Amino acid sequence: MSAEGDLDVVDSSGRSDLDWALKGAVAAVNTPGIVLFLSFLGFGAMTHDFGWPLWIAVVSTALIWAAPAQVVLAGALANGAGLLGAALAVTVSGVRLLPMVVALLPVLRSERTSLGARLLAAHYVAVTAWFEGLRLTPTLPRPARMPFFFGLANALVVGSSISTAIGHAAAGVLPSALSIGLLGLTPLYFLLSLERGAQSLGERVALGLGLALAPVIGLVAPASDILWTGVIGGTAGFLVQRLADKRRRS
Amino acid sequence: MSPALDPGYLLLAIVLSFVGNDLWRVLGVVLSARLDEDSGLFAWVRMVATALVAGLVAKLILAPAGGLALAPLWLRLAAVGCGLAAYGLSRRSLTLGVAVGEAALIAGVAALGI
Repeated sequence: MSAEGDLDVVDSSGRSDLDWALKGAVAAVNTPGIVLFLSFLGFGAMTHDFGWPLWIAVVSTALIWAAPAQVVLAGALANGAGLLGAALAVTVSGVRLLPMVVALLPVLRSERTSLGARLLAAHYVAVTAWFEGLRLTPTLPRPARMPFFFGLANALVVGSSISTAIGHAAAGVLPSALSIGLLGLTPLYFLLSLERGAQSLGERVALGLGLALAPVIGLVAPASDILWTGVIGGTAGFLVQRLADKRRRS
Repeated sequence: MSPALDPGYLLLAIVLSFVGNDLWRVLGVVLSARLDEDSGLFAWVRMVATALVAGLVAKLILAPAGGLALAPLWLRLAAVGCGLAAYGLSRRSLTLGVAVGEAALIAGVAALGI
């Protein structure tokens, strides 16, 4: 019944899936998208430093589609970690994608969303696509959300792949101050996006604890520090939010 | 050419990383089928994700891999401080925060002659 209601909303707005996908693609060209493209310029420049061929750098962006994982991979290989060691480090760094997928999919899916579409949407989940998906889709009619997200995410992937190639090609030409500046874009942008996305008290606690705990936990458990930081910081934020909600109600 | 730079080797590393990364994305799909948006578990998972990415940011700034490590720690922290200050003063403008932080980092690296 609710599916019918949702379809009526789309019909009355007169937009097809393709229209929504195009709107999503247009939404990708916005500050977060542009900062993402710039940080992939930085990644491209870094892979040039590490001696990767240009096409390999582009394939890594298009296929892995997670800037932190790609930076971990390139760094690990450059530090002489073997194939398996590097892949393991990337896999550990990817844990954060699981809760992000779990948080986004219930917002995107409608009753007509197939398993294949959900798997594909999950593949596109990375920090920028996730933030923008969570920020932009909740106001759309439910059946429009998935096509909008696919348009958004595909535009981000294409723009990022092109940026990777340009960064790689420009690396030999750019002065080192600029290429170091490009590498600094990713953490700076992630930090500010997190701050802007954290609206509840609990999320602010999770953000602050995440920043503070990672370096400390890194000393104790360097291989799994990100994971523990997430679990401890997130649980603390959750408990604080619960307490605050309870106090407000009483 | 060292074996680590052989294109076939790099491609294999990328495919393995893709598999390792997408493993979590597929698991997320499986788990999300059992969760609804308003549940407590969903709120918890979202906060875990926030803390995870925050932890990664702290590591990228404090102990970066690659070229960013060429900038000294104090400069990296000062650049982040400038970015945060601009972001706060501009009523949370992502563009301004990123632009000012970047300008500080680039100017610092240029001034130090790295």
